[in-house]
Amino acid sequence: MGSIIKRAVFDSIIFAYLAIIALIVVVKPTEDQMLMLGKNSLIFLGLFVLGGAVSFLLNGAKIKTLGEQIFAPDHITIEKISKPWYKKLWTWQLLVVFVVTVVAGVNQTNFSIYELTDERGFSGAMRLFGDLANPNLEILPKAVLKIIETIYIAFMATVLAVPLAFILSFFTAKNVMTHPVAFVIYLGLRTFLNVVRSVEALIWAIIFSVWVGIGPFAGMLALMLHSVASLAKQYSEIVESVSDGPIEGIRATGANFFQVIWFAIVPQVVLPYIAFTIYRWDINVRMATIIGLVGGGGIGTMLIKYQGQAMWQEVGCIVVVIAVVVWLMDTASAYLREAIK
Amino acid sequence: MKPILEVKNIEKTYPNGVQALKGVSFDVKKGEFLVVIGLSGSGKSTLLRCLNRLHDPTGGEVIFNTEKGSADIANMKGGKIRHLRKDLAMIFQHFNLIPRHTVLSNVLMGGLGHTSTIKSMLGIFPEEDIARAKKYLKLVGIEEKANVRADQLSGGQQQRVAIARALTQNPKILLADEPVASLDPATCHTVMDYLKKVNQELGITIICNLHFLSLVRQYATRVVALKDGKLMYEGDPKNIDDAWFEQIYGEGAKEVHIE
Repeated sequence: MGSIIKRAVFDSIIFAYLAIIALIVVVKPTEDQMLMLGKNSLIFLGLFVLGGAVSFLLNGAKIKTLGEQIFAPDHITIEKISKPWYKKLWTWQLLVVFVVTVVAGVNQTNFSIYELTDERGFSGAMRLFGDLANPNLEILPKAVLKIIETIYIAFMATVLAVPLAFILSFFTAKNVMTHPVAFVIYLGLRTFLNVVRSVEALIWAIIFSVWVGIGPFAGMLALMLHSVASLAKQYSEIVESVSDGPIEGIRATGANFFQVIWFAIVPQVVLPYIAFTIYRWDINVRMATIIGLVGGGGIGTMLIKYQGQAMWQEVGCIVVVIAVVVWLMDTASAYLREAIK
Repeated sequence: MKPILEVKNIEKTYPNGVQALKGVSFDVKKGEFLVVIGLSGSGKSTLLRCLNRLHDPTGGEVIFNTEKGSADIANMKGGKIRHLRKDLAMIFQHFNLIPRHTVLSNVLMGGLGHTSTIKSMLGIFPEEDIARAKKYLKLVGIEEKANVRADQLSGGQQQRVAIARALTQNPKILLADEPVASLDPATCHTVMDYLKKVNQELGITIICNLHFLSLVRQYATRVVALKDGKLMYEGDPKNIDDAWFEQIYGEGAKEVHIE
């Protein structure tokens, strides 16, 4: 049953998608018409329903659609007579969708060979690149101080995120939250963390820079929030993969919920937790450089300042400093994670 | 004298619809070495786990008689279950020790049930628990391994640590779920001998799941046999003849001897 719905929805979306592009090509709507979201959504919905009907008609005629090819259960996809690929509807569907999407993509991204090979534009880019390759080392001392600030932003964000994520990870692990009430808490927390994680750290940095003012504190808070959500997910996946034996063993002694976590689960998860934490710090250093661009402090703030004044030699110096530190952190964290495995 | 456990018509149906126990009744006498036999999937493990509520039975009663009075295990709730588990220790086929902890630390975990959460998490265990843990490590003959990590030990040694952990609970009954099924035949007897010692010297009632009939004859004082979640046989292990054997294990089954 589920596969039929999935198939119908997939086929309908593909149909409506192709139909709407065809409509745009034929009708050539004005910009005002394109901006009428409500009306256009209704058109799409109508095409979607039509697509569903077409999908059922084709299915009734035993013609296999792309949706069926993808979502049909394994046991009925075995064809008695194998037709060559160019005689199958679904291969043409796939081909048409792909070609149409590429053409639409070229259109949407203003893709232009002319602009790419324009001589004036190209020489401008080369001049900029030349400046970047000749970094102004006068600002190096300041850049070093700022990258240290950046590393501390990342460090604090990680350190403050760990205890929160540690506690949350047990409440977001399916094998711990087996009780019906606990399962509701599990679902709520999971959803909440997914929402937090799906908002980019960059957006959190903008929010916090309004809340606590522009500077490293805002950047640290943004990274911390993002780290809590990410680490809690990674940690809870480790908790879900622990072996049940020790849990049973400890439960049988009459231990309570917290003792079971502490004695049966924690020993199994400590090392993977540490590995993920080091990796998160490494990621946070890279993200901290970016967060500075929107007022999160650290070297990013310095970078955006020089970039705004088109001082490319200074920007070059900062880019080199960032590259060196990111590379060092990356290598160091890889070694550390390897060593504690 | 009242039996220590009265299992009455106990049933267990898993959420996926599998009926593991279809109304099993028997008594467990105080101080006996009761062995449960049956094929894999006959419901032996489920039965044991229903007795200490690692699994929740879906029907029936289990009356637990102590000098303090009687209680129905099958219908207990919440904190009472944890309290009950202190009296019914358990050992497992795969030992279920904490690999990264030392042997002594593993044995001390037997005392978790009567240690406060904060104290146990800080690693503070009562002096008498430590003394008892050491005493039982000595009883199972591995006191010299007390400070070795549990995963450094052989299977037989790990099972002996598990026995010491169970004893540290001060249980009235020891449940043993296939305690020798993942051990080699030679180690088998060592572990079974320690269980016998626990039974005879400490007077702890033992309920033990076993595969091998030769072990059953050697160690059991009484036997119950399960097949497809039903009780097939209850009585003296010496009375299990070939006819009974075929009934329990199915036609064409042959007995394997462990020497």
